[in-house]
Parts: sequence; C-alpha cells; structure tokens
Amino acid sequence: MPEIVVKGVQITLAGLLTLREINLVAADRSVTGILGPSGCGKSTLFNIISGLMKPDKGSVFIGGGDVMGKTGLVSYMHQKDLLLPSLNVLDNVSIPLVLRGMPRKAARTEAARHLQTFGLQGFESYYPWQLSGGMKQRAAMLRTYLFSSDTWLLDEPFASLDAITKRKMHTWLTGVLEQFRPTVLFITHDVDEALYLCDKVYVLSECPTVVKLEMSIPFSRPRQNRTILDQAYGAVRDAVMDALSI
Amino acid sequence: MRKKFATITNSAVPLVFIGLLLVLWEYLVRVMAIQEWLLPGPLRILETLWGNLPLLLKHAQSTLLECLAGFVIAILISFILSFFMEEIPLLKRAFYPLLVASQTVPIISVAPLFIIWFGYGMLPKVIVVVLVCFFPIALSLLGGLAAVDRDYLELFRSMKASRLATFRMVKLPLALPSFFSGLKISASYSVMGAVIGEWLGAKQGLGTYMTLAQRSFQVDRVFAAILVVTLCSTALFTLVSLLERLIIPWNRKTEWRELE
Repeated sequence: MPEIVVKGVQITLAGLLTLREINLVAADRSVTGILGPSGCGKSTLFNIISGLMKPDKGSVFIGGGDVMGKTGLVSYMHQKDLLLPSLNVLDNVSIPLVLRGMPRKAARTEAARHLQTFGLQGFESYYPWQLSGGMKQRAAMLRTYLFSSDTWLLDEPFASLDAITKRKMHTWLTGVLEQFRPTVLFITHDVDEALYLCDKVYVLSECPTVVKLEMSIPFSRPRQNRTILDQAYGAVRDAVMDALSI
Repeated sequence: MRKKFATITNSAVPLVFIGLLLVLWEYLVRVMAIQEWLLPGPLRILETLWGNLPLLLKHAQSTLLECLAGFVIAILISFILSFFMEEIPLLKRAFYPLLVASQTVPIISVAPLFIIWFGYGMLPKVIVVVLVCFFPIALSLLGGLAAVDRDYLELFRSMKASRLATFRMVKLPLALPSFFSGLKISASYSVMGAVIGEWLGAKQGLGTYMTLAQRSFQVDRVFAAILVVTLCSTALFTLVSLLERLIIPWNRKTEWRELE
C-alpha cells in the first residue's frame, strides 16, 4: 500500500536551484537508498516528502494519494536522535502515541511491548544521557516505528556511530525490517551501507540536483555478512561509485 | 575514596581562607585600637547578633516574606510574558526593547514613588523585589526558549503536534536549565531588593533596622544586619538550587556515564 512516488519535484532555496527535477519511486515494503554528495538537497527532499516543506513544482504521492504539504503521514527519523533529555526512554518513545491522544499510561504499556525488539528492555527508566549512541538511535527508531509502522524516512540514522556499532545496527535493522516490512527511504553517504540494506538505490548529482543513477540491488533479502563476497557485488558497487564520481 | 577526599578539601579551602580573613580583621581592629563605632571586630559583631537575635529574626521574617512574594510574582509574570512572546513573534519584537529599557531605570529612583503611591506597607517593597527579579528570570527563560534546537521543533511538526503540546513537551523542558540559572541570580538579588525598599521607608524589616542602627552609629548592629541579609540570600539561593535538582533531575550532566 504505502508506495512513495516523487514526481518532478523542483525547489529553489535562498535563490539557489537546489532540486532541479527529482523523480523516484519507493516500492511498497521495499528499502530504497538515496546517495549523493553533501549539500545536494537530500534532507530537503525528505522535508518535502514529510510535508514540512512545499516544492515549487512537482508532487509527492504516498499510497496513491497526493500528500503535498501534509505532515503526519510518514515517520521522519533524523541523524540526531532528538530524544528529549527531560524524559526517560519509555516516555520518549511513547511521544507519538501521546500526541495522537492516547492516555499516557496506555501509551507506556503499548510502547513497552516493543522494547525487546528494539534492544531497550531493562532501560525504560534511563534518561538519554545515560545511554550509548547505539541505544539512543534504537530508541529514536522505536519512536519512529510507533509514529508510523509502515512508512519511514531515515536520514542518515547511523552517521554519528562508530564503525563497529554501525555494523551491529545494520544486522539488527535487517531483522527489524524483515519483521515489520515497512516502506523505507534511506539517506546515506555510505555505499556499503546502502548495498547492505537497500533493494534499490538512487544516486543524486550535485546541486542543482537530478537523479543520476537508479539501480536495483540484485541480492536477496535478508542480506548476510557474506553478501559482500557475492560475485556481482563488485560490479554493483563500482557502478554506484562511478555515479558518485568517487 | 580519593574523590571524597577531594570534595572535603574543596569545601575546606574557602572556609579556611574566610577564617583567616576574619582572624586578620579581628587582629587589626585590636592592634590598631579602632573605635567600635567606626569598625567593630567580627567577635563584637557576633556578640551583637546573638544579643539582638529575636529582634533581627522578627525583621528578617517580614523581609523574607516580601522577598518570597515578589519572587513568586516575578516568576509568574515571566512565565506568562515569555509564553506569549515566544509564541507570537510580533509581541516579542514589540516587547523586547521595552524589557531591556525597563532595566536601565535605576530602581533606587523609582522606589520612593512606590512609597508615595502605595504607602509604607509591604506592597511597595514587593514591587521593588518584582522589578529586581523579573528581568533576569524573563531574560533567561526567553533565552532558553529561543535556544531550543530547531530539529526538535521540526520533528514535532512532522508528527503533527499542536503548538501547545510542542511548547509543553519540548520548549519548556529544554528551556528550564537556562530558566533556573536566571532564577538563581534573582534569588540572590531579591533580598537586596526588599532591603532597598525598606531603606526608603518602612515600619519593619532588615532595611529599617539597618537605617535605624546607622543613624545612631551602632555600626556593629549594621554589620549584624548585613550578616543576616547575606544568610537570607544564601538560603534562598540554596532553596532554588534544591528545587532545580528536584524539578530537572535529568540535567545533572556531571554524573555523565556511558553504558554498553
């Protein structure tokens, strides 16, 4: 159902043509990666899809409906965890439920059911400053899930983590994605991360931004650590790297 | 063990230093045979304090009452004003210069007016305290609200949170640490505000006591009153610090630790 379609989106920010013409499709229940150089407007694109910004031209459809300028239809997870320092883990992740009008107590009970999956059991009464980087991102991910279980925009969710933690998060996220099967748009700078997690990858150009490459990733899900040894891996990776001109 | 030792030394250093200063003061007063009505020694001041304790406490009581009343009113006004100034940008632009300008008016010159208008009772003193306390509180609260990370606001907007919910869940809690630093400044100023108010004319209070003692050259009594004023300020400051730990326990960054 929640297929995300971006059609001919164009936007000028502060006199600079940022997105020239963006067309992309994230198929229902698939993970779609978006790669591109810094400052090419990836986050702007997410702001448009989530309804926080309106483009000058073009349109966005989610599950077939026009969602231009409508917030609250997709979950948007930022590179920063954005957990409120004033609330403990359980209260932080139940925010979306409370905002939807659920009584606080019921929201806590509902959120607590998912702590196990997100590796947070036993930490519900901890404050954000008491958590490691990985746990904070998992808590942010649970909050994302509790807002919308089927459509996620993930904006470099693991960019601030160290390599080992990042790797662990990838393995964990693979499991979560298999379990819930959401439609995901995933912004990243990390080619291997994109190839490990995504079904399809879009490579964006520098400003003014257009789609430079659209490529399906041929490996079956769920990926394993050995996917990297697949014969096709090198060729796929090269193609993406070329498009990024690294 | 070592950490505990360090805390003890840390609090011991200033205490020993103050003690040495007091000893030096007492010594100089005695050696130079300074007249008591000019500068009494610390021992003499303590003696006076002890002898006048019931009277001083009675005066301190009304001063503290004025302080607390003014303090609470200043907090309430700051909260209401900051909320509207934060949520309505036009109001902020209109009010902010006025807020700053109000602070350039010397309190000491307007306080007599309050006495003309409101008499010798408590009210004019409370107004002075409000005027003294209001600015640091309102400014720190406004600063805290304005400094909230925009990404939090965007996140809440993407979740379709109402403005009131965003204010209550994001802006207000995140502004509280800054609010409390302003509150601490105000707490230590508030006693001074009340004393200034009493100086200019009052029936009771530490300020009145001080003026009376001053006029009759009872310098030891002036010093005793100063000591009580200092203690009151410190007590209020400590009270606010305790409240801070109670209300925003999550803000104790010093106990930072990492798991996993």
